[in-house]
Amino acid sequence: MSSTATKAVTIRLESTEADYRTQVEYALSFASEDIARHEFAADGTLLLHIKSAADENAVREKVGKLLERYADRTFGLKEIVHFKQERDLPAIDAWTQLLERRWVTQVGAGHVVLRGLAARLHRTINAKVLAYMAPPFNAEEEYYPSTIRCSTLDRIAHFTSFPEHVDFVSHLREDVDVLSKFSKSCRESGWKPEHHDKAMSPIDFAICPSCCYHCYESMENWDLPKPGRATTMVVNCHRYEAGNLTTMSRLRAFHQRDVVWVGHPEYVRQSRLKADTLLIQWAKDWQVDCTFENANDMFFTDDYAVKASFQRQQEAKRELRLRIPFEKKAISCSSSNFHAATFGKAFNIKLDGRPATSGCMGWGCERWVYAIFSQFGLDQSKWPEAIRADVNTFAPEKGYNE
Amino acid sequence: MQLSEVMDELRSFLKKTFKVSDTDSEFTDDVHLFDYGYVDSFGAVSIITFAKERFGVTISDKDLVVHSLNTIREISTLIHQRLGGK
Repeated sequence: MSSTATKAVTIRLESTEADYRTQVEYALSFASEDIARHEFAADGTLLLHIKSAADENAVREKVGKLLERYADRTFGLKEIVHFKQERDLPAIDAWTQLLERRWVTQVGAGHVVLRGLAARLHRTINAKVLAYMAPPFNAEEEYYPSTIRCSTLDRIAHFTSFPEHVDFVSHLREDVDVLSKFSKSCRESGWKPEHHDKAMSPIDFAICPSCCYHCYESMENWDLPKPGRATTMVVNCHRYEAGNLTTMSRLRAFHQRDVVWVGHPEYVRQSRLKADTLLIQWAKDWQVDCTFENANDMFFTDDYAVKASFQRQQEAKRELRLRIPFEKKAISCSSSNFHAATFGKAFNIKLDGRPATSGCMGWGCERWVYAIFSQFGLDQSKWPEAIRADVNTFAPEKGYNE
Repeated sequence: MQLSEVMDELRSFLKKTFKVSDTDSEFTDDVHLFDYGYVDSFGAVSIITFAKERFGVTISDKDLVVHSLNTIREISTLIHQRLGGK
């Protein structure tokens, strides 16, 4: 990308607020394939470097449409910080150190392999949820496939809110000539994207973009007893993030662990509140620098403003954001969500004759790992005692490659 | 227009749009429409559109933040006020 000849295009922004910039910056990666890179100037100007051959007006128009979506948010996003814990932390370049130590190896953009202490920490996050967060709700452990039907994503309107990040799945056509030709091409010239031309079957599956969708899909037409049920699962999820993939703070392939509640509104609401309290206690115990605050999804739609404002007003999403001092930002490592009856209606899950409501709490396992290394470094002996104790309990050193 | 008339129309709209059963005893004028799962973020867009098309009243993103608009009574009161009612 950096070697592409570019020309500069300047666009004036409506706001210089950090939150607005974050939303715009995320969305810009999906605005146009002709944008090579972008940067923000302090005076509220957005500088785009577009490919020399690109149609400047077409790029301006696409970016203009995006900016319009997010401009409204400057007066409509309710901010509530429920919990804040600040620590005086050094700026540790954990990404570089983890790569050097080989506790993390990158295997493609947004794809990482964890080993050593990184793998132990990953295991600890999962095991701690199972031991600490699941039992208070009698959450039943379930196992899900990592792919999901596109028709299921369609039923829950995923494509109308987040079309940009779906990693679709396909396979070669069931045709001996097609299969032979593909195989022969790979043998002769190695794999190339063009070998797939006219060789692929229609797309019918995608890699799960979220952890808990199979939970609702698998409960289709259930009549639930009061007050409802809780489940927990971990899924290898994918989200295509274009140019937003950086370090381990945003990956394309990641593990998400969820605890999910489906049932009567009061049961779901109270369970979520209880989980929020437990999560905050977890953050206190581990002494992480964080905030637990009201948030909204990055809806990639023209009605972003309404959806985001409504989500914030209703506190449908709260995020535990851990600070990454070296990157001068905070990343969402866990979220607490209330879906109302969206999934109950989509899959005809009922309780007392009414669509069941649902909520969930999620842990982005790789983000947690990255945040801990970023805040406390790679030397485990310098970590807060509670983290060391949990790692030694849930992922003891024996049997792991240190 | 009386507040009760606005409430009647909004109640009918919600029941029809969000398929609320006639026998649903929890669906009252003061039930939290969001917490009880009658309306989600997509439904909020429908309510805003309904207010505009039926009453000519604009409910903005700012209203969603500034006002408590969680029940039939609360939403109807805002619409009624904007229609000039007191």
